[in-house]
Amino acid sequence: MKKIRDERLQLQNLKNIRIAYFIQTLGILGILGYDLVTKGIDGMRENPLWMVFIITTVIAAYLSMNISVDHENNNKSPKKSFAVSLGVIVIISSVIGILVSITDGSTAVNGLLIGGIVFICFLVPVIYVYYLRAKRGD
Amino acid sequence: MKNNVKIYRVQVDLTQQQLADKVGVTRQTISLIEKGKYNPTLKLCLEICYAVNKSLDEVFWVEKESDH
Repeated sequence: MKKIRDERLQLQNLKNIRIAYFIQTLGILGILGYDLVTKGIDGMRENPLWMVFIITTVIAAYLSMNISVDHENNNKSPKKSFAVSLGVIVIISSVIGILVSITDGSTAVNGLLIGGIVFICFLVPVIYVYYLRAKRGD
Repeated sequence: MKNNVKIYRVQVDLTQQQLADKVGVTRQTISLIEKGKYNPTLKLCLEICYAVNKSLDEVFWVEKESDH
């Protein structure tokens, strides 16, 4: 088979792939929805399709950050936004950590652990957005 | 988008297929460009201009439509 070099057909090909993925996602959601109704939320999570769906969503979210950063038109310095976001996630993760540690049946270690996990989970996208904004500033 | 691809293609005595082979696309794409139904990339526009020995201006320039 010859490689397609025609730009119009390449574009058409991408559009076709998009339609195929749209239908595939609908199918995955349908299967997960069926599992949710028949087996409950834990049954749904046991399905490997759940993992596929979550990973795909996370990848889509990261890729769309690239677009949002170009789309936003504020001229704030990326360092300042980074500092603000960092402050916010420190507050959020400490609040969650403290709340977990004062809950009955969990220790301070649990609070520290969950707070730390929340902190890292928020830190990664914040660093990524900072990196994108800094790159755009060049 | 209107353009003069067809006029200059006929002037240098090329068929749609020959022009398509020269610029590396399919004949259908050339046909759609001539009919103004496909908006080619700047890269493809330049390739077409090289093939018909004209400038980008001559082949693709259209006056801006007036607002009224």
